[in-house]
Amino acid sequence: MKTILKALFALVMGVATVWSFKVPDIAYFQAPGFARIFLWHFPCPMLFTFLVITSAWFSIRVFFNPAGLKPETDAIARAEWDLRSVACMELSYLFALLTMATGILFSKVQWGDWWSWDPRQTSFLMVLLIYAAYFAVRLGYSDPSKRTAFSAAYSLLALLPALFLEFIFPYLPPIKLMSLHPTGSILQGKIKGEYAYCMILILILFVIMSIYLYKIRVRTGLIELELENNDAKLDAGRDSAPTGVVRPVSLSE
Amino acid sequence: MNSSWRAEILAIFRKEWRTEVRSLSGLLTALLFSVVTVYAISFAALNTKLQGTVIAGMLWVALLFSAASSLTRTFLAEEENGTADLLRLVARPHAVFWGKALFNIVQCVVTSSLLSILYLGFTSAPVPIPWLFGVSLITGCLSLAGAVTLCGAIAAQATNRSMLAAAISVPLLLPLVALGVSGMRVSLGDGSLSSGGFASVIGLIGYAVATLATGPYIYAAVWKT
Repeated sequence: MKTILKALFALVMGVATVWSFKVPDIAYFQAPGFARIFLWHFPCPMLFTFLVITSAWFSIRVFFNPAGLKPETDAIARAEWDLRSVACMELSYLFALLTMATGILFSKVQWGDWWSWDPRQTSFLMVLLIYAAYFAVRLGYSDPSKRTAFSAAYSLLALLPALFLEFIFPYLPPIKLMSLHPTGSILQGKIKGEYAYCMILILILFVIMSIYLYKIRVRTGLIELELENNDAKLDAGRDSAPTGVVRPVSLSE
Repeated sequence: MNSSWRAEILAIFRKEWRTEVRSLSGLLTALLFSVVTVYAISFAALNTKLQGTVIAGMLWVALLFSAASSLTRTFLAEEENGTADLLRLVARPHAVFWGKALFNIVQCVVTSSLLSILYLGFTSAPVPIPWLFGVSLITGCLSLAGAVTLCGAIAAQATNRSMLAAAISVPLLLPLVALGVSGMRVSLGDGSLSSGGFASVIGLIGYAVATLATGPYIYAAVWKT
């Protein structure tokens, strides 16, 4: 059954790829033919934002147990929530890199430069740097419990600046005026018809792929955690004193 | 705030103050860094009439690196000197955060005021809206101190703590720098109050409130790790 579903997913992804090259151009963009990358660009920041918020929620769970609003004290539960948080963060960073890569291509084709210091591009680069620091925090701690706590704290600390850079800063009046980046093209009805349907299909496929990758990452992480816990138990077993009664033996006999 | 909280916060603040007065390492490092930066920027722009945006940008870059290099020390020094565990025994996490943040705010205001005076003196830049310049600087210092204090706490127990503190605080402060530049350029005559001046100050206040309000809770969560 799983193999059939995977084959079906691959087939639909193939269809979506071909469809994204076949949909009729829309005149809204400066170079409509090349602007098709928008179909692949648009879902990436959506998923990035969703995953970053989800990761922050899992980071809250590292510290707090919402049942009874108690601090989370179980080390294994903390490690599992941290694993979920880092799985989301890794995936979100992948989508952030894809956003940046497709955005740079769009910038070259539509605005003439690989990097044109557009406020939206620049603020998203800042977001990328903020979340790169998350991985720096994780690498900075070799002790797993400290790594869990401090990276979760950073994930929470980074959320507000990241959301500000994504949703407020580019829309400030003087900044918005400087931007070449299209804004509100879907809400204003400029992306419609077959173009919009193709974009929605790609978004759905990306969501399915993200869920699949997230589940694989969490599953492998849980196996790693279980192995580490078993190793720790074995080590503890080796260090403990032997059980049973030790009888004193007289050396003179 | 009841008197026990106030006493605890002030005790932490006094401890930081006395430690600083004894060695003057943080303040002197920040001041030296600021003077050298201002001199280097002024020298690089010798005999050139700089625009308000450029002046504000350079000033904020100097403030950013000065804060990232000096303000993170409050927590890093505790771990390096081995006094962090003692602090955990005698004080509550919220009080520790607030005491250290208050000290960092004072240090940041002193350093950035001196840096700004020197910088404006060297570049002979006019300041048509001085109150906006002052408000941008003060709210910027509040935000810088709040965010950098927390970054210092997050990096304090890492193996490469000094580098990590700078590496995580600089990206987090970039939006703050963008807001600071936007507000300060208007105060230096580049743009109008309605075209970003007010919005930037509101943004800076929001950033300060967000970091100082969430900071103690985030710190309390990692406090005894």
